[in-house]
Amino acid sequence: MKLSGTFKSWLGKHEIVLLLIIVVELVLFQALGRNFLTSGNVSNIFRHSAEIGILALVMTPVILTGGIDLSVGSLMGLCAVAFGMFVKVYGIDPLTAACLTVLVGGFGGAINAGLVANLKLPPLIVTLGTFSLFRGLAEAFTHGSESYSGFSEGFLALGNSDIAGIPAQIWIVILVGMTIWFLVHHTTYGRSLRAIGYGEEGARYAGLPVKRNVSIAYIMAGAVAGLAAVILVSRLGEARANAGIGYELLAITAVVLGGVSIFGGSGNVSGAVLGWIALAILNNGLTRISDYEIFGEKVSSVARELSGLLTGLLLIAALALAICMKTLAARRSAKQT
Amino acid sequence: MKRFSREHTVGAALLLLMVSLAVVAPNFFDAQPFISRLASQMPALVLAIGVALVVMTRQIDISIGSQFGMCAVIAGTAAASGMPMPAAMACAIVAGLVMGTINGWLVAGLQLPSIVVTLATMVIWQEVLRLWQKGRLLALPDGVQWFGMSQSAGQATVICAAFLLLIMMAWGMKYLSIGRRVYAIGSNAEAARLAGLAPRLTTFGVFLKMGVLAGVAAVLNLVQSPQIQPNCGEGMELKAIAAAVVGGVAITGGRGTLFGVLLGMMLLANVNPALTHFHQPPYWEKAIQGLVILIAVAADRSRLRKQKQVT
Repeated sequence: MKLSGTFKSWLGKHEIVLLLIIVVELVLFQALGRNFLTSGNVSNIFRHSAEIGILALVMTPVILTGGIDLSVGSLMGLCAVAFGMFVKVYGIDPLTAACLTVLVGGFGGAINAGLVANLKLPPLIVTLGTFSLFRGLAEAFTHGSESYSGFSEGFLALGNSDIAGIPAQIWIVILVGMTIWFLVHHTTYGRSLRAIGYGEEGARYAGLPVKRNVSIAYIMAGAVAGLAAVILVSRLGEARANAGIGYELLAITAVVLGGVSIFGGSGNVSGAVLGWIALAILNNGLTRISDYEIFGEKVSSVARELSGLLTGLLLIAALALAICMKTLAARRSAKQT
Repeated sequence: MKRFSREHTVGAALLLLMVSLAVVAPNFFDAQPFISRLASQMPALVLAIGVALVVMTRQIDISIGSQFGMCAVIAGTAAASGMPMPAAMACAIVAGLVMGTINGWLVAGLQLPSIVVTLATMVIWQEVLRLWQKGRLLALPDGVQWFGMSQSAGQATVICAAFLLLIMMAWGMKYLSIGRRVYAIGSNAEAARLAGLAPRLTTFGVFLKMGVLAGVAAVLNLVQSPQIQPNCGEGMELKAIAAAVVGGVAITGGRGTLFGVLLGMMLLANVNPALTHFHQPPYWEKAIQGLVILIAVAADRSRLRKQKQVT
């Protein structure tokens, strides 16, 4: 009883830390930046990071099982190319093409699922292989340089317009978020993911369908990578083989920042969402800083380029903090008993 | 016999590729381009040796591409500012040592997961490099290319240096206690600790060596061209890890040989030149490399299963 209480308070603390980071970011960028907390910019923050958001959401179940999916960014590239070809080469209407693209993504995810869940290969190296494979196929289909553009207005509206005052793609993020949150926290499926993450062998002996449940997590990640590709294409108005480069790292960063253990078994969806928001605000806020000069160089130009660096540092800091808190909590509970 | 079966398969695949090249496109083996190609593959080989050690201890380092880039630019800047070549080389190696120490401290000291740590340091070094260079090409002074020697002598030096390193490391892994410790800790860190070995110290040492080897690889790369690309080292981590895995280093730690890494590297590195010589479009390279990696891990699995059935 006492132990679970400590554990709960630790989880609570992690999210409070994230909320604090977000508040600090908001105050800092509002003070330093121009037009930061305007409605236009706030919707910009979310519009430009919607793809990372849904990737982080589906990465959460995968990481909960103790796995990882490095291939989602490359799969986005392949799906973007597939979508471009469906619409531009085969003349399929965008809605059907989008559904087909999600299927392509799901198929890509199924390759990962088959290798990880059925053949029991290490997910890190499997998805490293498909990371190369998917991007390679995308490049091969476009002969390395072709791209598809000139999509219909209606389709581009998905990426660039508002519905009820909120960017259209954020509704998709909310939908995906609700689904994942429900799956992870309110179904036996979600419970089983944690069980698998804590100990796969134990979960199997407890009668959980480990293979099936792990497969679903990877297939879901693939399908949503397809969805993310569609959103990205509609926002940029162009489908290229290099879509989504580095997105897997950003998504993993958001999830880990959100307190989901990279070893699997613990973490929650709200943490991943907060991690994503903290990253999104950081990236946007840095571009808003202006009017200062340090060493004769405009801060704005430096700040814009600092975002990647700070993302990396933030990730290490969040990890170190989580480990410190864990040892502190362990020490405290050891004292009490 | 069983232990070397992966090396045999990869060796056979490499041999097959070479024989078919010899039949279809004999000019693949013309001395000059062949040696140039070999020399240009040496930096990746040195990185692959380092990352093989890391993987054998059951860790991973995906920051090596960025480390490589940082070392190359630091050495290049040192050389461009008029430092003699040995001093510039020392700069690269010290820079690698520092970056390796940071990774090692975070992984072995703070016990953070290596995949996340090196993910973060990868992004950090990459961004530092981008901020510093801002996409500029860094031109190198005259004395740097081929160590100031003729091209053929320079290429020979690069190849010999890399192979000497490989042989020394492979010998050390096989016959020195410091090498055997890597296998022991990769197989079972807890058992190794109870047997009186120091897993954390060894892990730290492996990351340190990785950094130094990134520095060496950067030097071997530096001397091969008159300038440094702003994005140099990008994607090298995947090439090196793929070479190690294809060469039979188990991602679950404790198993693999550096000779296998050499074969894996040669197989993967020759995909692109082979495509050109078979008159196939080069943009299939990444897809084929990905497939080779997947086949290699899948083969690993079926072999392990067979072994289990035997015992």
